[in-house]
Amino acid sequence: MKALAARLRERRWVWSFAGALVVWLITVISAGGRGAGATLTAGLGFAAFYVMAGMGQMLVVAAGPGNIDLSIPAVMTLAGYLAIGAMHGDPSMLWLGIVVVLAVGGSVGLINVGLIKIARVPPMVATLSAGFIMQSITIAYSKTTTAKPPGILMQFAVGRTMGIPWIAIVLIVAAAILGLVMSRSVFGRDLLAVGQSERAAYLAGIPTRRITTIVYVASSLLAAVTGLLLAAYSGGAALDMSSDFLLMSIAVVVIGGTSITGGRVSAAGIWGGSLFLYLMSTMLNVLGLGAGVRYGLTGVIIIAVLALSEDHAPI
Amino acid sequence: MNVPQVKCVATMVAAVLLIAAGLTHAGAAEQKSTAHMKIALSNFYAGNSWRQALLKSWSDTASQAMKDHIIGETKIVNADNSAIQQSSQIESLIVEGYNAIVVDPISTTAINGAMEDACNAGVIVVVFNETATVSCAYHIITDYVEDGRLQAKFLGEHLKGPANILEIRGVAGTSADVDMHNGLADGLKTYPNIKIVGAVYGNWTQTVAQKEVAGILPSLPPVQGVATQGGDGWGAYQAFNAAGRPAPIIVMGNRQDELALWKTLVEKDPNYQTFSVSSTPSSSEVAFWVAQQILAGRHVPKTMNLPVTTIYKNDLDAWLKITPVGSLALTLFDQSWTETLIEAANTGKPAPDAPSPFLSAQ
Repeated sequence: MKALAARLRERRWVWSFAGALVVWLITVISAGGRGAGATLTAGLGFAAFYVMAGMGQMLVVAAGPGNIDLSIPAVMTLAGYLAIGAMHGDPSMLWLGIVVVLAVGGSVGLINVGLIKIARVPPMVATLSAGFIMQSITIAYSKTTTAKPPGILMQFAVGRTMGIPWIAIVLIVAAAILGLVMSRSVFGRDLLAVGQSERAAYLAGIPTRRITTIVYVASSLLAAVTGLLLAAYSGGAALDMSSDFLLMSIAVVVIGGTSITGGRVSAAGIWGGSLFLYLMSTMLNVLGLGAGVRYGLTGVIIIAVLALSEDHAPI
Repeated sequence: MNVPQVKCVATMVAAVLLIAAGLTHAGAAEQKSTAHMKIALSNFYAGNSWRQALLKSWSDTASQAMKDHIIGETKIVNADNSAIQQSSQIESLIVEGYNAIVVDPISTTAINGAMEDACNAGVIVVVFNETATVSCAYHIITDYVEDGRLQAKFLGEHLKGPANILEIRGVAGTSADVDMHNGLADGLKTYPNIKIVGAVYGNWTQTVAQKEVAGILPSLPPVQGVATQGGDGWGAYQAFNAAGRPAPIIVMGNRQDELALWKTLVEKDPNYQTFSVSSTPSSSEVAFWVAQQILAGRHVPKTMNLPVTTIYKNDLDAWLKITPVGSLALTLFDQSWTETLIEAANTGKPAPDAPSPFLSAQ
């Protein structure tokens, strides 16, 4: 029993998956058994987008107290607009779309790092204001064009095999790799060390500035790719397409067992958190509750999962 | 009575009549000049195509009015979805000496205090698009209830016999969402065979609507109709398509991508039926002219209703031709239309129909 408790403490992400399973079961039961598989298919497909943005957020959060990337939704929308606009529906221009995505992601990441490390602006303010600037650029750009994404990209974004969306398969593999990187590689160990105490890590000879740069750039790059794929998935970029990603990118990470104060991560948990939050909203829709009750229940359920996954040993 | 006396009385009567006529004339048409006055727009959100159209409509109208020396100055302030920010922006507009402030309020109550401050400072306050309960302001109310009723009527008439519909709602807690929902529910009472089998909140956003509909769809029986609130039609179609379900009657919301989708659906199946309805963001233009007319001394009722813009099959091609990609169908409420609206409201007549942009072209 003690051993089990200890193992659970190590694997906090189990709780988010357990939560996802419970809300899925309630959904299926209340729908009279209808659409059990299809609900899961939809869940995997949409959760994959949260996972993609959430992986970047997790890397940033891991770098320690105060580190957070609030520019994710703005980067997504900007990258989606510019890349879809650059390709203009032409599959042979796919390379240009990818170049645009990398350029947007890379440059916003570097701007964030510059603001935080050189201008010494707190990450929350730095990334939020960088996001506002990107949003203004997007609004200006959106007045000139909206193109449809190239067919091949749309097919990839919506494609599925035996009910499993391709995009989910890619993201399951990506999360597994990220998990290995965090637990086995030197970079992962360094990042966790920085997250636990930047000063101690610096004194121990860890290149802290380089680590911070990598995580912010990685977060922006992942956000940019998410933006492109989400635009492809929904048939074009829209100004408000990433409106729920500010909150969700943070929520899926925290519910998945990553510590918001850094130094402890869970890549698998991002999937658990994403599936849980998506299926919970489905469950509340299927139960047909009023808006007030929905918000209330959402809060209560999230607190329950977080409370279960935390240590209960006296501090 | 002798002749001179009669003459004298006649002259006096004529003089009185002339003066009276002159006075009436002045009351009706001779307005105060507003050339030196300042009118500001306080808006609370700018992050989607509908809001962008609302802002553009204002700036086009207001800058033209400045060129024509109808007003002296204008300004737009946007609060980033924050009631506190919108309140403080209104307070600073008062200090900057604006004569009228046109407000799209974030909440029915939260910024009433700031608007009352404006009234107390002698500023004309015009509330439009969303509603607020502030009593000292003028209210231009977009008829969202009618939007819902029209949808119920169309779905009722085109879905014969027992049918299931899915309702996509907007942003929970806004007055527009509640009004459209109530209009739909009220309209559906006439059609007891039609049942709302599910409801989701799509936040008037394509991606959110797509996500929410995709989630609830597997648990629903066959759905023959979808009631929407605008900006969500395309997302709903994507979700039905991904689930391998045939396209039901999806009410469109006047966005260009929705109109284009409608056309594609009709090309695939000539029998495909739907229509499109939405409030129009050029309500900011009406609000501008109403504010200007009040400043000019015109009597304007405290509450006026603004019709929604509907598009039926016959007009689809014409609308698609004049609606730019990425934008939405815009009814142009110009100064003269606004005057008709005020006139109708003053005399207790119903609001005139929304002007059709291509009547002149036909």
